[in-house]
Amino acid sequence: MSKEAVQLSLPGFEQAHGRWRAEYGRQIGTDRVIRNRSQIEIKPLYTPRDWNGESFLDDLGFPGQFPYTRGIYPTMHRGRTWTQRQLIGLGTPEDYNKRVRVILDAGATAISLLPCNSGFRGVDCDEVDPVLLGTCGTVINTTDHMDRALDGVPLGNISTAMNDPSPFTLLAFTLAVAKRRGIPWTSITGTSNQSDYISHFIANHMFYRLSLAGARRVLLDHIEFCRKHVPGWNPVSVVGQHMQQAGATPVETMAFTLSTALQYAQDCIDRGMDIDVVLRRFTFFFDISISFFEEVAKFRAGRRIWARLARERLGAKDPGSWRFKFHGQTSGVDLTEQQPLNNIARVAVQAMAGIMSGLQSLHTDAYDEAITTPTEETARIAVATQNILREEAHLCDVIDPLGGSYYVETLTDQMESEIEVLIGKIDAAGGMYKAAESGLVQSMIGTSALAFQERVERGEEKIIGVNCYQNDSGPSLSRATERPDLDRMTDHVARFQAYKEARSQGDVRRALDALARAANSERENVYERIVEAAEAGITHGEIVSCLRKELGFGHPLVVV
Amino acid sequence: MSLATLSPPARVLVTKIGLDGHDRGSRIVAAFLRDAGMEVIYTPPWQSIPAVVKLAMEEDVDVIGISSLATDHLIVPKLTDALRAAGLGHVGVVVGGIVPEDERAVLIDAGVHAIFGPGSARDEIIQHVALLAAKVRETKDAELAEIAQ
Amino acid sequence: MHDDLVDRLTAGDPSALARCISLMERGGAAADRIYRRVCPRVGGATVIGFTGAPGAGKSTLIDAYIAALRVRGASVAVAAVDPSSPISGGAVLGDRARMWRHAEDPGVFIRSVASHGHLGGLSESMHRIVDVMDVAGRDFIIIETVGAGQSEVEVVEIADVCVVVNAPNMGDEVQAMKAGILEIADVLVVNKSDLPLAQRTTKQLTNMLELRRENRDVPVVETVALTETGIDALHDAITRRLAAGAGDKQKRRERRMRRLIADRAGRIVRDLVGDADGGDLADLVHAAASGEIGIDAAARRALKAVL
Repeated sequence: MSKEAVQLSLPGFEQAHGRWRAEYGRQIGTDRVIRNRSQIEIKPLYTPRDWNGESFLDDLGFPGQFPYTRGIYPTMHRGRTWTQRQLIGLGTPEDYNKRVRVILDAGATAISLLPCNSGFRGVDCDEVDPVLLGTCGTVINTTDHMDRALDGVPLGNISTAMNDPSPFTLLAFTLAVAKRRGIPWTSITGTSNQSDYISHFIANHMFYRLSLAGARRVLLDHIEFCRKHVPGWNPVSVVGQHMQQAGATPVETMAFTLSTALQYAQDCIDRGMDIDVVLRRFTFFFDISISFFEEVAKFRAGRRIWARLARERLGAKDPGSWRFKFHGQTSGVDLTEQQPLNNIARVAVQAMAGIMSGLQSLHTDAYDEAITTPTEETARIAVATQNILREEAHLCDVIDPLGGSYYVETLTDQMESEIEVLIGKIDAAGGMYKAAESGLVQSMIGTSALAFQERVERGEEKIIGVNCYQNDSGPSLSRATERPDLDRMTDHVARFQAYKEARSQGDVRRALDALARAANSERENVYERIVEAAEAGITHGEIVSCLRKELGFGHPLVVV
Repeated sequence: MSLATLSPPARVLVTKIGLDGHDRGSRIVAAFLRDAGMEVIYTPPWQSIPAVVKLAMEEDVDVIGISSLATDHLIVPKLTDALRAAGLGHVGVVVGGIVPEDERAVLIDAGVHAIFGPGSARDEIIQHVALLAAKVRETKDAELAEIAQ
Repeated sequence: MHDDLVDRLTAGDPSALARCISLMERGGAAADRIYRRVCPRVGGATVIGFTGAPGAGKSTLIDAYIAALRVRGASVAVAAVDPSSPISGGAVLGDRARMWRHAEDPGVFIRSVASHGHLGGLSESMHRIVDVMDVAGRDFIIIETVGAGQSEVEVVEIADVCVVVNAPNMGDEVQAMKAGILEIADVLVVNKSDLPLAQRTTKQLTNMLELRRENRDVPVVETVALTETGIDALHDAITRRLAAGAGDKQKRRERRMRRLIADRAGRIVRDLVGDADGGDLADLVHAAASGEIGIDAAARRALKAVL
């Protein structure tokens, strides 16, 4: 809702304001119109005239109170700091295990797993050229692999984020491992971080494996399965990251993400699920760009809008359902290959924006993350950045520290209006599923991406080291790029092939037939069969291939 | 841009081989090239090398632009070898994306004409591709003239 | 005289086919020479046109249909047409990417063709492109066009069978979708027929057919391209229409030639009249501007003046 200029009764205000405006005008010379990434005009100064806290209780409220603008919990970071959840993934399961043990030894209670690109493509490691394996994530194709990757990891006591899109084989392997170790599924906690198939279809084709309709079916089955058997797991993470990285403005990103959440919520309602039970396990995942204030406003607006949507539009009754829980990752798109050490400063600023926005967990990029998987050293710096912000800059001490800033509140309101307009557009197109199917969202994002690129080309959008302050001396990275050991990887592939041959082909056939049957029946839960298949030793590639055949291969709509 | 556009327009393939799936950059470049008057055959990522060779042949492309992140550039020499083996060695190949400094020489030796890093300006890319396409056309026309004797 | 190239073309060499297509697109003396040589051999291929609005799932359907043809041992060539930008003359040709299944199959030759600003949506050289594909020995030639503007008219001239692809949930577009496109259909497809509104779309089309006086025998086939459902039925429908329409190929070809010649004549005259600065024409223009004579009369007099 847009606000008209607020009525003030401060004596002398208008005069003082007028004086400032006059002096400003005289001294500024040629003033140019400044717009943020969402193209909202940014003024040089904000005053109580723009926002004066009159609607404090309705629009802001207190932390932990509807509409949660200031934070979803009463204590926020002062009570419990944000979760440091660094993404890791590299090489073989053993390589991953080494890294994860270091993190756990340092006291982490949350880990994240990033699979190899080959996994995202839905194939097993023996189906691609070995030089491409394990360079951006860990190769995990079976329950055995997962067992080795999570060796010594107390599955029942830590939270795991699986960066795995539909059909969520990584969780299936994890559950199989838990069963082997006698750990009850009820004590497994974590998130299916990449369950948002609509965002993949729109903006991250790498993660898009099954047809839209197929992914829709699998997600709903996944939600139901988790609700019944793994109640501590968050099966839904609605992802704004991909769209922002693809070029959507912050306003567009939040609007599209909320619309997607509405779509998934509606799908669950249509299936007869209890909306309150479902929404409690909805989480969000966003990119945090370096447009500092814009990001803070984006998240605060998002929190407020979601609370209202959940309560009023979706009819959720439990306050737990109205809370906008989100994980933020500093945006790799803002990082540069040129003068890479500059990225440390960038990540710090992005992280600050995320922290001050009240996120629940944070991943900070390593300074070389734009170019390669982080080394131990660069990963250490990324974590140290979070520690410095918490311990030295004391960013945890005050809840919603930017609340009440005339600028931030005005911007939050403005972004909220724009976001709602866009949500309306998606509604008019029949909801996010249809809007994505028709390519509407993709072309909007493409337009924003092109516009941004053109601003960079024109020098309007300045990027240090790229279009200004360039420095041509020497290579950008002072060391050779770290890669997984090719011999160890080829070895890993060979072992995997031997493993496949050694299985009972009859068992394999039976498990895959059961999976195919489930996919073709309307009443069976496909995800239950996926987990059974994982337990029976079926591989990631075999599961994905079977589902692609029965439910449709995922071909994204390409819009240029 | 002073370069006269070819007629029929230059045909450029913009594609990705290997495993990376980030295509924001390649989509933007495809749009740039189209706006500069070229015909761009655009594919989604994860094209196999045999598929790219077949496409280059059927579409009679002048230039192939490979968008590369992660380690995808490591298999570009396999592509240039395959192109040559199929009689398509005259087709220009350029690579855009992130290629570590110490791994660029290998690409150039394999026949890659140019490598565009992330800071490359639009005009720079367009100029280069247009010039390369014009050169490739000349070679093809000369070949055709020979056949016509 | 291009012997080697033509021989390789007729022997089915795909790289020769690719070069010949490029030559046809470019036009000129060499192209004319080659075309003259191969023309007599044209006629062995079956040409099928697929058209329909964006979003109907045309490319996915074609991808599935090609698979069905391959299973039956037929070789295929595809001409996938996309519009050129009227401003820059460039184009993004992205249709072939959707025929991913056949990306490595030498039995499926795929060529992306830009419309080159041709108002009809199909470039003038399209029939030559189809002819060289024919002469290269391809059993089936598929033309994919966007169902907008006049390109459907052209597809009718070149294709033996025209398949018009519809999908439910395209709202009023089916209705509005120019009764024009539906007129040219030899086979109507309702794709995405697993969607709830598919039955309604089928009904709408069948109703429309019943209202016709002639050409009511158009089969309406329901498909789900994504899961390859209904593809055999589609092939049967196409085969039956081919059998029914056999023999018209030459007539169609001649009709196209006549239209191309008329269009070209019109362009030549337009240029002449537009560029002329002779005194006679100036007087004519003046007279028309002041209403002394009508446009039709002025045009006829201009024709006499310039030719």
